[in-house]
Order: sequence, then C-alpha cells, then structure tokens
Amino acid sequence: MNRTSILVRRVTVWTVLKWTVALIVAAIAIFPIWWMINVVFALPGEPVSLNPRLWPSSLSAGIDKIHMILTETEYLRAYGISVAYALLTIAGVLLIGSLAAFEFSLFDFPGRRLLFGVVMLSLMVPTAVTIIPTYLLTSRLGWLNTMQGLVVPGLASAFGLFMLVQFMRAIPKDMIEAARLDGANHLQIYWHVALPLCRNALVTLAILTFMQTWGNYMWPLVISTRPEMYTVGQVVGLFNSPLSHHTVDTVMAANLLAAVPPLLFFLIFQRKIVEGIAMSGTKG
Amino acid sequence: MAFLEISSLSKFFGTLPILNDVDLSIERGEFVVFVGPSGCGKSTLLRIISGLEDTTSGTITIDGEMMNNVEPAKRGTAMVFQSYALYPHMTTFQNVSFGLRMAHSPKEFITERVRQVSSILQLDKLLDRRPAQLSGGQKQRVAIGRAIVREPRVFLFDEPLSNLDAELRVQMRAELMDLHRRLGTTMIYVTHDQVEAMTLADKMVVMNGGRIQQTGAPLALYDDPDNRFVAGFVGSPKMNFLPARLAAVEPDAVKLEAIGGSGTASLPAPGLTAAPGPVEIGVRPEHLHLLPDGLEATGLVLNGEVTLVEELGAESFVHMDLADGTHITIRAGRGAARPAGQIRVRPDLERALLFGPDGQRLRGGDGRKG
Amino acid sequence: MPSARPAFFRRPRPGRNMPMTLRRYLPHYLMIAPFMVLFAAFFLYPILSGLYYSFHDWNGVKTPEFVGLDNYQTILASRDFSRAMTNLLWYIAITVPLGILVALGLALLVDSFTGRWANFFRNAYFLPVVLPAFLAATIWRWIYAPNFGLLNMILGWFGVPSINFMNDTDTMLYALIVVDVWVSAGFNMVILLAGLKNIPGELYEAARLDGASKWQQIIHITIPMLGPVLFFVFTYGFISAMQVFDKPWLLTGSSFTSYGGRRNALLFPVMDMMGRGFGGVKFGEAAAYGFLLTIAIIAVTALMFTMRAWRERK
Repeated sequence: MNRTSILVRRVTVWTVLKWTVALIVAAIAIFPIWWMINVVFALPGEPVSLNPRLWPSSLSAGIDKIHMILTETEYLRAYGISVAYALLTIAGVLLIGSLAAFEFSLFDFPGRRLLFGVVMLSLMVPTAVTIIPTYLLTSRLGWLNTMQGLVVPGLASAFGLFMLVQFMRAIPKDMIEAARLDGANHLQIYWHVALPLCRNALVTLAILTFMQTWGNYMWPLVISTRPEMYTVGQVVGLFNSPLSHHTVDTVMAANLLAAVPPLLFFLIFQRKIVEGIAMSGTKG
Repeated sequence: MAFLEISSLSKFFGTLPILNDVDLSIERGEFVVFVGPSGCGKSTLLRIISGLEDTTSGTITIDGEMMNNVEPAKRGTAMVFQSYALYPHMTTFQNVSFGLRMAHSPKEFITERVRQVSSILQLDKLLDRRPAQLSGGQKQRVAIGRAIVREPRVFLFDEPLSNLDAELRVQMRAELMDLHRRLGTTMIYVTHDQVEAMTLADKMVVMNGGRIQQTGAPLALYDDPDNRFVAGFVGSPKMNFLPARLAAVEPDAVKLEAIGGSGTASLPAPGLTAAPGPVEIGVRPEHLHLLPDGLEATGLVLNGEVTLVEELGAESFVHMDLADGTHITIRAGRGAARPAGQIRVRPDLERALLFGPDGQRLRGGDGRKG
Repeated sequence: MPSARPAFFRRPRPGRNMPMTLRRYLPHYLMIAPFMVLFAAFFLYPILSGLYYSFHDWNGVKTPEFVGLDNYQTILASRDFSRAMTNLLWYIAITVPLGILVALGLALLVDSFTGRWANFFRNAYFLPVVLPAFLAATIWRWIYAPNFGLLNMILGWFGVPSINFMNDTDTMLYALIVVDVWVSAGFNMVILLAGLKNIPGELYEAARLDGASKWQQIIHITIPMLGPVLFFVFTYGFISAMQVFDKPWLLTGSSFTSYGGRRNALLFPVMDMMGRGFGGVKFGEAAAYGFLLTIAIIAVTALMFTMRAWRERK
C-alpha cells in the first residue's frame, strides 16, 4: 500500500462537496465585509463597471478618506463617546454584577431566592417594552444627552448577573470559609478570593458587553438627541442618510471605521467570545 | 472551668437533631479527637466550635469567654480543611500570610512570621510555588502553616489526612504529633478512622447519632467501654459479641447460659447488680485462644466452623461461625489454623465484658468489670 | 424590646436575636444593594410606570389624563397595528425556522472539519454576528441598491433588469430576512456546535455498525440529542424575532417622522410602538403597545414551554 493510493482514497465525493460548500458559504459570510473594505480603498468616482471592487485598488485614496472623516467631521468625537460609553458600561456592569453575583452564588440570606428569581424573570421581558418608560424616567432625572443617561440605565444587567453566578457557583465553599476564618471581612473575601477565581468569566462578560454596547442603536437613538452626544452608530446613520453629501466610498469608510473595534476584539478574543455564547446556550 | 467548655449544646436542622445535648470539657494543650461513623455529628461540632455554624441551644466557652456570638475570625481558632482550601491563585507565601494581610499587619511582621512558620513546617523552598505545583503532603503543610501563622489558641482539623495515601498518612500523623509536642496548643481533630484517633489522641471523644458516647484516653476506651457502641467501634478488628443469658447473680460472680448457643460459664463480677435476662458478652479477638486438637480444656469452650483465615505474616485472623450462627474473630499466630474445618476456642473470661439488652455496660461494684 | 445598651455590653443570648439576625445578614444586603437599586430603578419602576401610563393619555408635557382602556382599543383597531402584526407573523414564520436550519447546516458543516480549518470556518461564519447592526444594514443597503448595488450588478450580467429590493413591496420582506439570516446564523451555529460536541461519539459509531447512513445518523441521533439546545435556540430566536427593530429601521433609512418603508411593508410592532411614542408623542399609547407586546411574548414563551412539557410526557 503506497502513500498516494491512501491519499486518493481519503478524497471522496463527500469531501469535495463538503469543501466546496464550506468555502462558498465562507465567501458569502465574509465577502460583504471584504467588499466594504475594497470600496473604501478605491479611487472615488470610478464607475462600478470598471472596478467591481473585488480587491482594494488604492491604498492612499482610502487613507485620505479616513483622514478626512476623522479631521473634518464630528466622527472622532462620536468615536470618543462610544468608547467612553462602552468602557464605563463594562466597568459598571462588571463591578455591580460581580458584587451581586458573589452574594447570590455563595451565600444564603432571607429573600435570596425571591430577589434572584425576579431578576431572572426580567430576562424574559423584551427590552423594547421598557425602553419608553425608562426614557421617560431618564428624562425626568435630567439625564438626557448625558453620559450617565447613556450608561446608568444599562448597568443592572440580568444577563451579566446570570453568567457570573454560574461561574461563581463553582468556587469551593471551604475556600470562602477558610478566608472567613483567616479574618477576611466580606469585602476582602470578594476582592481577594472570589474575583480572581472567576477571571475568565469577567473577561468574557467584558467582551460581550463591549460588543453589545458598541452596536447598541436603540438606546442612544432616544437618549442622545443632540449631535454632541451622538454615538458612532448615530453618526454613521447620518452618513448613511440620503441627506448627507458624502459619496458612497466615504460613507463606507465611515462605516468601516466603526467596524474596527468589534472586529479587532473578535480577532483577538474569538475563542472566549464563542465559548461564552456557547456556554450560555447549553446551560440556558 | 476547663479551657474549652461545651455545655448542653444542641443543633437541630428543622426537627432533625444533628447534635443532641452535648457536654464536653477540654483542657488546655490537649490533643482531642472526635471520632465516629459518618453522620454522627463530629464535623458539625467542630464547625460550631469554629463559628462557621450556629448552635440551636447550648454554650461554648473558651478560656472563660462565651463564644456563641463571636465571629469565627475573632475566636482565636484556626481550621485545617479536608480539601486544604488553599487559594489557587496565590503563592505559598501569600496563602500563609493571607490572614495577616487582611488584618493589615505591618510588612516586616508578616515576613518574619511566615519565615518562622515555614521553617517549622519545612516550607522554605516552596514559598514561591502555587498550590497546583505542590504535592498532597506539601499542600497539607501549607494549610497547617496558614493556620499556625495566626497563633490560635485552638487548632481545628477536619479530617485533614483523608485525601492522602496510606503511607503519607502515617508520615503526616507523626508530623502532627510532633507539631503538637512543639507548639503545645490545644488541638481538636475530627476523623472517622479509629486507628488514627487512637494514635493521635490524648483524649478521644466517640460520637454516634449526635451524642457523645464516651470520652477518655484511647486505652481507657479500649479496655473499659461504657456501651456496646464504643466497645464495637474502638479496636480493629472489632470486638466479638456473644449472645447469652444471665441466669443468676451471685455476690462474686454471675452465671451465664446459652453462650454461643449452649455454653455456660461463671464470670467473676464482684458487686454486679442486674436482672436475669438476655445479655451480650464482649470478648476481644486477642482474648480468644485456639485450642489445638486433642488438648483438654477447662472452663468455657466454644465450637465452630472456620469460614476464613486472614494470614498477615506476623499474625493471622481466624473467622469462625459458632453453632448458633454467631460470627467471631480470633487473633492467632501465623499459620495457627487451617482454612476450613472445626475448631475449638477458649475465651479468656477474666477479660470479657458484659452488656445489657439496652447496650449499656454492666459493671460491678468497683465500677470496673462485668 | 431588646436591650438598648450598646452591643459591646450586651451579653449574647442564644436563640431569639432579632437585631443580631439583621446585623448578620447586613453585609449581604449591602453587597447586592447597588445592583438591586439600579434594577428597581431602571427596570421595575419603568415597568410599573409603563403600566400606569398605558391607561393614560400623555404627551410628556401636559398632565396625564386617565383614559382607561382607550389606548389599548385604539391600538388594536388601528391599521398600522394589523399591518405590523401581519408583517411580524410572516417574518417569524420564515426567519426563525430558516435561520435555525441554516445554523444547523453550518454547525454540521463546521463539525465535520477539525483543527485549524474548523476554527477558520467557525470564525468566518461568526464574523457577521460581530458587526454592529448599523454596519450590517449599511453594507446590505448598498448591496441591495438599485442599478449599482452588487446584487443588481450580478443580475445585470444575466440580463435581469434592476430590482429595487428595499423599495419594492414584494421583495422587501424577503430582503430583510436574508440580512437577518446572514447576521444571526453564526450566532445560533456556535450554540448548536457546542451542543453537537456534547453528543458522545460512541452513539455514531454504534449507528454506523448498525448500518445507518450519514443522513439517518443525523435524523435519528443528532437531532434528537440536540433537543434541549434546539429548544433554547428556537425559543430565544422566537423572542428576538418578535422584537425586531434595528434592521428594518436601518435598511429602510427610517426616522421618527417617516418609518416602516414603502407602504409599511417593513412596519413591525416595536417600530410602530417607537413611532407612536417618539414620533407621535403619544406616550400612553406607546406604553400600552409595549404591554400588548409583552403579553404576546410571555404567551409565546409559555406556549413553547408547555409544548415541550407535553412532548416530554409522551
């Protein structure tokens, strides 16, 4: 039995079919993004028939456009708003969620089941339903068009709590007891023992929160009505609207810039993201 | 008042009694072992002493102070857990110094203390390692170090050696005894292994069903058990129990019948008072003697069939069934019996103990014997 | 009444210790306080106030006026509502099963690869999920653009005249569904993949020895074993689909003054609600709308769970 015949034997009709389909689907998944990149990095004004945008044709033109957007429009500011919004939300969700998850997963106290149950029930209530009353409340607090208006209403994340509770439940009880006997007070046990042990969950939650915040459209839409507080999503919306005077390629450049952080995060952390989602699905 | 005093302590889980009216006195510097089968309440009692669990009623006093509502960390107790409970993300140094760091002790103080403790337990070379890089015995020592460093008045051990293999367990036992000798601190140790209890304890506390069955030095419990449970629990292999009938009580002896189905004997028991009726005679395996074929014997002789012989090299254990079905074990020399066949056994009645139908020991006037 | 002396002087009593109990649990309550306070403020209160407003007429400025069930009646009778619900039903009926089917296919496909290639394909298929919604919308709006959009260009090569996907009432819904599946298939695929990995390999081996073909293995082993995961994906997909907003809004370039696309072909309940609230400034009506939607979603979820319980009992 020589080597070539083994190789030939391995490649069946099934394998060929499998690979073809897989590659075609991959193309369908990736091509639109690739196409967007190519539109950006092409000379403006080139008719589509000449350049179907299957590959980037002009690096410098693309860079020019990006430069223009960042310097001559409000884009950079919106970027800053979105970044601040995302980071503040992540910090808040992680801190507040982990404090509560610590209690719900490792200790017992009167009302624990009830409170936790109510929070978990909220996962079933669609977000669109609470948005208008929440908007009214936020408005009454005077928080329209402010960073706190953007961030604070989203900090009590039931999903985040759920995820952290699942992870913290795995911490051995006698480690907590040992810390208690060692004289650590409640907060110290939380900070020195529990938090370091669920680092993975915290990272995954941070990433998922970032993705969700960056792409959040509905909430900034109602809270940020003044251009100074627009998030990236809204500014891109401006570029997209028929009233903007920008050409297709510039609009695409604006969109592409907005896609960079999530794409970057994904490329670096893809395993954690995928695992996080998979876990919540199989446990949920 | 003793150093550690437990009074009328009970713990109920709903209506289920886990500990029932427990009284115990522990002297300063004693090595006390709580021993008993699973579910007897020994671990619960330990945890109540530590403060990790509450009592339903009763009090705990350490050195004169009532401890019932004092937080665990403030009681002056330290605990070593069965699973070590080391913080996996911290080095040995950080694990040992954790309590001191949480109390915000000055840095030099912490370093000095940890150094002292490390040299006692030979942890010096391991200070930078994480628990995952330590062996079972090393982890155990780090756990002990973490307990020592806070200079507690009472050490609590919750089955700390259960996770180690047999050889390591023997070694660690010796180290623990040595540690006790050096530090002189009061130690309370929980185990289900009565061999471990016998070797380690100054005072042994045998528990069953949430109650203390008997307290005392290991050999005292071995030679002079208060009830059938303690008699059967302490000592390996277990004591033999022969059903019999108490026929008559005389000033100096009691007459027994139906021993092992048919035997009769007169047991020396000065001053023993009891009503005639069913009893049990307890005889330890080493107090039963095999009679070689042909040898005439005086006194009580039991006949039976050999079921199993365990040869252990220096000694053997012969298992046999008596005529009435009672199963007994005899400790004999090497090769003393054939694996099957009829044999005869002579019990040493001077060392036999009597137990009444309620399981309590029947004692003579001087408190001993029976 | 427990002693008023400071705790330091109070002799501990076993048994009834009311203030002791509260003090004992205080650290726990303090730690969960930030979360619970925010939760109560920004979830419980809005829900309750929403319920309150749904029975009032309010435009945000004048005092709310009690109107009982008027809002609910207005909504249920309105043309927009029927349109939105019809659109929604069509949308869900196609998007949810199609999405899961595609996701399952992708999961099986990726599962048949190993190592580097498996990771590559999994990441490639997941990529659209990572894009923010507004981005996906932009890309697809340009793909769908009449005359110069990518699709119409390709159609042009085959001599098919340009179709205005996002403006032709016949095609709009399907165009939306395609975008939806493109974005969400990867998400469901990842969950299904995890479920696939949990199926013990020996089951397949036993089936092979019994002579089952690949197809039969999929139908008789894979799908039944994926039961719980499929249920989760289905239910979650259903609930998300009922709340669809982002994509149709962005694809049709809507604003609060003009939304829903041509002749309301892409009008959906959430959009309708937002429009009445922020466009028509009828907050009472919008709140009522929200509650109707919530009831619908809870009803659907309850239905799904009962169906599952019923199935398990069989």
